[in-house]
Amino acid sequence: MEENKTANDTMQTERTVNPYSAKAVRRALGRKRTGELLILFVFMLFFYGPLIHAFMLAFANVYQAGDIIPSEWGFHWWSYILKQQNIPRSILNSFLFAFCSTGLSMLICIPAAYVLARFKFKGRKLIMFSFLIGNAFPKIGMYTAIGIIYYKIGLMGTFFGVLLIHMLGTTMEMIWLPAGSFRSVPKHQEEAARDAGAGPVRTFFSVTLPIAWPGIVVAAMHAFIGSLGESVGTLLVGLPQWRTMMTEMYGVILDFPATAGAVFAIIIVVPNMLLLWIMRKYVSADTMAKGFKMG
Amino acid sequence: MKETSKTNWKTTLFIIGALTPAMLVSLGLVVYPMINQIIRSFKDPKAGTFTFDNYVYLFTNKVSSRAIWYTVEISVLTVLLTISISYLLAMYLRFSNSKISKSIGNMYLLPRFIPSLVAVYAMKQIISDSGFLNRVSLLFDENSPLYNYKPGMLYNTKGILFMNCWFNIPFATMIIVAALAGISESVVESAQDVGAGKIRIFFKIILPLSYKDVLIAATFVFMSNISSFTTPYLIGASQRKMLGVYLREQFGRGKYEIAAATSVIIFILCSISAVVYLYTNMKEQAWEEN
Repeated sequence: MEENKTANDTMQTERTVNPYSAKAVRRALGRKRTGELLILFVFMLFFYGPLIHAFMLAFANVYQAGDIIPSEWGFHWWSYILKQQNIPRSILNSFLFAFCSTGLSMLICIPAAYVLARFKFKGRKLIMFSFLIGNAFPKIGMYTAIGIIYYKIGLMGTFFGVLLIHMLGTTMEMIWLPAGSFRSVPKHQEEAARDAGAGPVRTFFSVTLPIAWPGIVVAAMHAFIGSLGESVGTLLVGLPQWRTMMTEMYGVILDFPATAGAVFAIIIVVPNMLLLWIMRKYVSADTMAKGFKMG
Repeated sequence: MKETSKTNWKTTLFIIGALTPAMLVSLGLVVYPMINQIIRSFKDPKAGTFTFDNYVYLFTNKVSSRAIWYTVEISVLTVLLTISISYLLAMYLRFSNSKISKSIGNMYLLPRFIPSLVAVYAMKQIISDSGFLNRVSLLFDENSPLYNYKPGMLYNTKGILFMNCWFNIPFATMIIVAALAGISESVVESAQDVGAGKIRIFFKIILPLSYKDVLIAATFVFMSNISSFTTPYLIGASQRKMLGVYLREQFGRGKYEIAAATSVIIFILCSISAVVYLYTNMKEQAWEEN
């Protein structure tokens, strides 16, 4: 930006045409195009810049003060991170909690989501809202509230205690989104199956579930990613017995060199990106936005 | 008659059976801890008797009362900042069909899948005083005002707001884009045919049809920022704390009654915005039913 401005100034004083000046660019692309490119530029710089920069740092063996590009590339900090005592164990723990909390909440929530989508009964909206509260209401307030109870009943620092904390987040995800997709299954298709003689269970598994499946998959992915990313709750009730990648990351950010932190950041992000890539067909702004409205 | 009453009985049982496990989780993890927390916030730590002292302390103590106002201030500023930027971005994504707009549309959701800690870490390496921006500024001529530019954004309000924009703009944009997608092209076009200008179309058609979803987005942004912990903990100032950081501190010191009262205050701040959310949602439902 600044460079362009000064270039523009010199162009005006010297009366020569500079092909890289802001004016020349604008003339070549048209005003609208320039504006759009500017939006793209700011967007990329703000949202993706930090991530790309962290990616670069992870492969920097030597990154001295004042350097823009590292002076030596390599995997030095990868071996440094993987040699840390707690880190491999924390990676394992993170996946353990993510699998258990996603699986359990699927078992618990899918029937509930189906009932909430298909049947009209008193208190339905209240129940929907109560699931929303758990997720939208201050997480840290909920965690301390649960933590105090954990101290009383001895769940502090236990596997089950941490698992429940993770389920607090995954439950709402697994109710609202699947309820939305169950609602969008055309009723007459279910009725047709019933008329053809299929029982309710068979209708559910061979008609309803296949149609609603994309929504459930997206919800499960959200739950899994949410559980992998859960940090504050585990920090409050899990430490020091149960450490996950996220609780280790606090320490890594505060105590380790920046390059080591970047390596760990990539290790944390890769599973999310893989999942997102696998599920890319199902993920759209529309399906996600639906989960935040009451139906 | 017999047949229907039998199926009704079965259906009721099925509804109860399907809902019970999920309700137990929600009761055990949300409702019971919340009630427990509210009761504890009115207890004297030593005698266990009823008292307002915990609240009086929170509002009169210098550190905690500043934390309350600071948290509200940050949350309101974040809502204003993110909603206005998101609205503009969403309008651009909705009403432009260019390649650039489509590619941004494909990319803007990604930050929602980056764990907050990683994002804070990555941003910290850019905006710290010896971070990437500073390193780039060293390329300038020594006499240039840009030489050795220090963003000065870590450990203060600016840094928190900057980071909050990163977290909340994708979410708010997502909600608003979904709302704007519901506005049909033909409505806008027919308004254009009648000769309505862009500004008029915005205030007469687009804004009235989307303000409810804007309110929903604002509610969620407000709620998530009232209780934010990671961002202020890692890049906020140590003298001016947000409530989340203060709460964790009290919890860590074993001052459970003060911690309980703090979280009740957080709950109340959120309920105010939850009422807005419920109200707009209910209104919308009533409108759809008619």
